[in-house]
Amino acid sequence: MPSPEVTSQGSSDASAVRYERATKRYEGSAEPAVDELDLEVAAGEVCVLVGPSGCGKTTAMRLVNRTVELSAGDVKIGGSSVRERDPARLRREIGYVIQQIGLFPHRTIAENVGTVPRLLGWGRERIDARSEELLELVGLEPELAGRYPAQLSGGQQQRVGVARALAADPPVMLMDEPFGAIDPINRERLQNEFLRLQAEIRKTVLFVTHDIDEAIKMGDRIAVMRRGGRVAQYATPAELLMDPADEFVEDFVGADRALKRLALMRVADIDLWEAPLAFVGQATAEVRAKLAGAEVPYPLLVDSERRPLGWLSERDLAAETVPARPDSPLGPLLDRDDVMRDALADLLQGEAQYAAVADREGRIAGVLSIEIISEFLGSPAAKAEERGAAERPR
Amino acid sequence: MSVAGPLASLPLAAAGEVGEGFFKERSSDTLPCQATDKLFCFDWAKENIGSFGTPTLQHLELVAISVAAGFAIAFALALLAHRRRWLQPPLLAATGVLYTVPSIAFFFLLLPITGLGRDSVIIALSAYTLQIIYRNTLAGLANVPDSVRDAARGMGLTERQILWRVELPLATPEIVAGLRIATVSTVAIATLAVLASGGGLGVKFYTGGNLTFLTSIVIAGAIAIAMALAFDVVLLGIQRLLTPWRRAASG
Amino acid sequence: MTGALLPPLVPASFGGAVEFILEPQSSSVTGGAKVGGLDQVLELTVNQLELTLLALAVSMLVALPLGLYLGHRGTGELLAIGLGNAGRAIPELGLIAFMAAAIGVGWRNIVIALAVLGVPPILTNAFVGIRQVDRAPVDAARGMGMSELAILLRVELPLAIPTVMAGIRGATIAIVATATIAPLAGVLTLGDFIINRNVYGPDGLLAGAILVALLALALEFALAALQRALTSKGLKVSAA
Repeated sequence: MPSPEVTSQGSSDASAVRYERATKRYEGSAEPAVDELDLEVAAGEVCVLVGPSGCGKTTAMRLVNRTVELSAGDVKIGGSSVRERDPARLRREIGYVIQQIGLFPHRTIAENVGTVPRLLGWGRERIDARSEELLELVGLEPELAGRYPAQLSGGQQQRVGVARALAADPPVMLMDEPFGAIDPINRERLQNEFLRLQAEIRKTVLFVTHDIDEAIKMGDRIAVMRRGGRVAQYATPAELLMDPADEFVEDFVGADRALKRLALMRVADIDLWEAPLAFVGQATAEVRAKLAGAEVPYPLLVDSERRPLGWLSERDLAAETVPARPDSPLGPLLDRDDVMRDALADLLQGEAQYAAVADREGRIAGVLSIEIISEFLGSPAAKAEERGAAERPR
Repeated sequence: MSVAGPLASLPLAAAGEVGEGFFKERSSDTLPCQATDKLFCFDWAKENIGSFGTPTLQHLELVAISVAAGFAIAFALALLAHRRRWLQPPLLAATGVLYTVPSIAFFFLLLPITGLGRDSVIIALSAYTLQIIYRNTLAGLANVPDSVRDAARGMGLTERQILWRVELPLATPEIVAGLRIATVSTVAIATLAVLASGGGLGVKFYTGGNLTFLTSIVIAGAIAIAMALAFDVVLLGIQRLLTPWRRAASG
Repeated sequence: MTGALLPPLVPASFGGAVEFILEPQSSSVTGGAKVGGLDQVLELTVNQLELTLLALAVSMLVALPLGLYLGHRGTGELLAIGLGNAGRAIPELGLIAFMAAAIGVGWRNIVIALAVLGVPPILTNAFVGIRQVDRAPVDAARGMGMSELAILLRVELPLAIPTVMAGIRGATIAIVATATIAPLAGVLTLGDFIINRNVYGPDGLLAGAILVALLALALEFALAALQRALTSKGLKVSAA
């Protein structure tokens, strides 16, 4: 397939991936690693393969780019069989992101990103432009382009890994526990950013993980697998949580299904409360006036850009003007795009009653509290929201 | 036990000349500097320094050709064994044998085939370098992280592309390390070439059936050591040049 | 292409070499006395072996304790590694010639010269071997209250055997190779057949080369077996 023209924001048409009785048998094993897998991943969807370790999910994923060869059956991308292509050429059209990242230590970041375009024979200028574009897309500063992988943090390296996989604008992406080697805080960030990215570029993604929470967060559809790559249930996250097909799925999803539902919603879905805002140097009398009927009984200190700096206490308000340094630290700062589950976790961890929520530019968007969450969960609006989430792709 | 037993000394005595070469005469006013055991005769050095030119060049030639040939062979063998694992133990054993056999013996084991002279010396010296270069090259290739290889393969590089664009560049430090060791050792061992009529700096240590005198030995020794050091530094420089990413990481 | 053979040597053959080893031959130079034969071969071989082992013992005595100590303490890397690199650059013939000319000939001086050759590889490998030992068992031992010396001898050294032995083997090869040219300094070894070829003839020359090669290989083989015997089973299993 010739490489399609890359536009600045759009992408090539994603392709559907279909497993047709795909089987992988290894020498010396009685049981096949993947046993007659039948699965269809619609174009533009994120399909998560999840299951206990050894269930064959990684093997199944690798059948798509032939890093593991089929013993029987077929895998079709966009209708054409992978068996008909030369493996190396096939792989250049499939994005590949692995857990240990695997950046080339001896190449600069830009060179790493440009690996597949170079293999495809793109011109130097085109490769450079594309590298720049992608680094921006994954949220890395342009100065990093000339650095070497060893000079980047783990989180930064994996962003490069994703950029590298997207470089030739492939119709399909394979991701094998891509955020597994990252620390939990950055993992959450990377997950959110990938979801933002996917909303824009809509690739067909096969995502492997052993973490059911990650699966629920990331997947449009989830395939829960047991030994031999046998699919116990293939459904949307909401269906999985509300209607597990059997005991295995129920056990795997976990007893806290109710809490897990929180992963289906975002902070942005809730009506946030407002805290009275205080600007540095403002007269405290004004702030006190605002406090009178406010939903949140504490004033939030923000800078001139309306970015939250901290919470003001009684002592702060005793002065004439609002001080530059608040008595209470800001505590957890949430993002409108956070899934509810993560937001709740951050709230609880920060032992805060209230947490400021910022938008993408870092400006205050509202305040969240546990009270708000539980109120919302009980409301009819929430139930409708859940059902809506079950139907729409995210 | 000083000089060996009676039976063995017969040939020595019979050969005659050997006796004089061993025992230096003590300082004397009537003898020229080089016949005494003075450590360094400046005058003689000044006059005769030019005579060291040809042996030095010969020595350089011996080392350069031997190491180049040894590298070419060992490198090719390592590439072969990298793909076909079953070759590794036999090749390691074979190159090991070539390494263990002392070069000076090797010079003459080739006697029936290539006779005396430069060719035998070069073959023997090359054989000596094989094991270290082979082992280091293989180790360098094996030390490439699996994740990097997995990523390269998954992205669509062919086996050959992976070898030349990923594995070899990353193996460079170890390969050059082996090359450095081999080269320095070869400079030292090549001094024995004179015993096989191969020329080189060895002629300044031993000539006409005798060891030479101290000044000559000291100068030749200094040249040999300087040559080894120079090779080492140059190769290290080449390695640094070829691996800019390592400097960046520590900087 | 083939080097010209100097007269009066005639092309040597392996058959002739074997004969030389087994039976005393007549020589044109000694005026009637025979050369070669099993007795002489044995004597020179024993000489070379004695020389090698003596020099090896001396260099081990000097280099092992120092290398192990520095490795255990973690200091002196420059010395240990640097000396190892420098040692490789010592021109063998130059060393013997220098020793003979400056200090004199004879057993004692040759042993010193050869020991000098053997020190660098043993020192470097002892140092590196100890440094490379996994810190975990060492920390555990220290935590249990073992003395530093006990840790070195009972924990670090056994784990470092492969590397340390490799150094000893390297030293042995270098020493036995240079012991070959000891006749230049008055100690007769198998190298005499090679160096004084006008006495022993082309057959003797080839015989000498073969014998030296065999001696070196035999030593290497013996040391490899020794290493296997000394390497604890636990290490062997993990290396497999």
